[in-house]
Amino acid sequence: MAAETPLRDLSNSKKANRADRAFSRVITGAAFTSLIILAGITIFLGAKAVPVIQDQGLSFLTTTVWDTIGVPPEYGIAGMLYGSILLAVIALVIAVPVSIFLAVFMVFIAPTRVSKFLTNLVDLMAAIPSVIIGLWAFYVLVPPAQEWQSLLNQYLGWIPIFANESGNFTGTPFIAGVVLAIMMIPIVTSVTAEVLKRTPPELINAAESLGCSMWTMLRYVALPFGRGGIVGGVMLGLGRALGETIAVFFVLKIVFDINFFNIIESGGGSVATLIVSKFGETSGDFEVDVLLAAGFFLFLMTLVVNMLANLIVRRTERLKS
Amino acid sequence: MTTLMSEAPEIREQDLVPQRPWSKRPTSFWLAALLGTAVPLSFAGVLYFTTEIAAPLLLIVVYLPLQLVSAGVAGYVAKGKHGILDSGLIVFAIGSTILSAVILGSMLATIIARGFEALRPSFIFQNSVYISPSTPLDYGGVGHAIVGTFLIVGIATIISVPLGIASAVYVTEIRGRAVPYVRFFVQAMSGVPSVVAGLFVLTVFILTGVMRQSALAGAIAYAILMLPTVARTAEEVLRLVPEDLRTGALALGSTRSRVVFNVVLPAARTGVITAMLLGVARVVGETAPLLLTALKNDQTVVNPFSDPISALPTFIFDNVAQPYPDAVTRAWGAALVLMVIVAVLFTLTRLLSGRNSMNK
Repeated sequence: MAAETPLRDLSNSKKANRADRAFSRVITGAAFTSLIILAGITIFLGAKAVPVIQDQGLSFLTTTVWDTIGVPPEYGIAGMLYGSILLAVIALVIAVPVSIFLAVFMVFIAPTRVSKFLTNLVDLMAAIPSVIIGLWAFYVLVPPAQEWQSLLNQYLGWIPIFANESGNFTGTPFIAGVVLAIMMIPIVTSVTAEVLKRTPPELINAAESLGCSMWTMLRYVALPFGRGGIVGGVMLGLGRALGETIAVFFVLKIVFDINFFNIIESGGGSVATLIVSKFGETSGDFEVDVLLAAGFFLFLMTLVVNMLANLIVRRTERLKS
Repeated sequence: MTTLMSEAPEIREQDLVPQRPWSKRPTSFWLAALLGTAVPLSFAGVLYFTTEIAAPLLLIVVYLPLQLVSAGVAGYVAKGKHGILDSGLIVFAIGSTILSAVILGSMLATIIARGFEALRPSFIFQNSVYISPSTPLDYGGVGHAIVGTFLIVGIATIISVPLGIASAVYVTEIRGRAVPYVRFFVQAMSGVPSVVAGLFVLTVFILTGVMRQSALAGAIAYAILMLPTVARTAEEVLRLVPEDLRTGALALGSTRSRVVFNVVLPAARTGVITAMLLGVARVVGETAPLLLTALKNDQTVVNPFSDPISALPTFIFDNVAQPYPDAVTRAWGAALVLMVIVAVLFTLTRLLSGRNSMNK
């Protein structure tokens, strides 16, 4: 990394060349595009959310109705908000262990050549568009996944989360969670591998010379050292999972009632998917506003998760350097 | 310039990778590992072919515990008490790797196998006017969607690349007071869900009547998603340009803008192109924003301002889950075309960044 010596800020200097000052201003202005867009999203979607909240009250966030033809029409996205979080949690439970083991394999166990190959594999996995993952999941993953779920239900059905009374194993939060996990694995893995690679070699060698096994070294040296980075990577993946639309669209049956924990029962919710699935069939401008308001709360949710992730990652980076 | 760059302190990758004291293993370890894998695998295999137990059940209830136990025994034989936990770790690590490889392999294999069923010249070059979901595969294609994807991505690139590079230049060259804020907002923006980018463009440009649902509207949504990727990658590559080049050029009397345009950006040329390609790869398969801002169109559209337009992702989206096998095959064909574009971008970025790090 280049040294961060601040060059003299010529934009404020009276002696600065006039062209240089203009250049500085233009660049500075352009650099704030991201702020402008973030503010724009907040203001414009927020402005659409205000009348919806005024009209529907807080029940917009706490109820589960979607009555477009009622007088007055009623909307509530509690099931969707909860569903988004449930899917993200299922995805986390599957993706985090797999990603950490995969990263450990890449960094500490596999021969260098295999490790390079796996890095490419993970990056390629991250590059696959979500619509293709959805297509693959719909035709290739769902049929066997139904069988897995019925086995889960058959043998572990006495645990409430694996209960299924309808006998219908399609469109379950479990399948959607698996699809999201597949999308999270490359993100979490690459961040984790990056962090593990930075474990100081002298610490590892010291652990080895003290007679630590690889497991002990991981448990007491590498993982504590990389904890912040790994948590940050997981939260980046979480942000992605909350906002994912299309892949979930193909595999989840959207229902408005809250599916609290029956993860292999058909039907669940997702704010992002709701927006796309209802957009084509909106009845009038107000329903579009309702979808925009839902988008506003989705945006807030992902923004918070993402900012936390970045703060955690940055704090650990600062501690290390 | 090249000489200056090659004299920069060289960081080899070996220095960054932790040492691996475990890589030296005795022969007894390999023997134990071989036996520890072969025994449970053959046992599960025999059960699979002789009994009616379902394969996933066999895998989780029979094979995995057996594999853990036998690996534990092998680890104990080879390394004593410490070997037991290590072997469990290795089993899970290899298991996770195989799982991920199988998922990716299955995706690529299905896309290629099913995609080739649709692939023929007419599929690439024709559009889908007069094509219904039940029309045989010999007629119609994704030509219009390919044009749409290139048009939308092209405009998005024109919008987002200058802004992204400017943002990077601000952080690495201007170094004003707002640097931490600019970086923070770029990071925060990278978390904007694609559907929200679509909703934003919908509210600001389409519902207000400024523009219709068109390639331009889709491109603005794409540009919002591209910008953080371009800005962050460009920042990283500009950081790699040696400070001596900047101070040298300034000492020769260059203005700040000359330093950026004639020294820094040319020195980081391949990196900047990589940033652009990564940005394109980030958005080329995004569907949700286009569903809100570009809709679909079976005709080939080249005017980015006037009409709704289809792109490859929206074409796939429309054809998935249709009750007609030919429509589904079309979706796979379009997925193959899209995947080829992604693969080309992926390979290009690899080659470029490889060359870039060699120049260092």
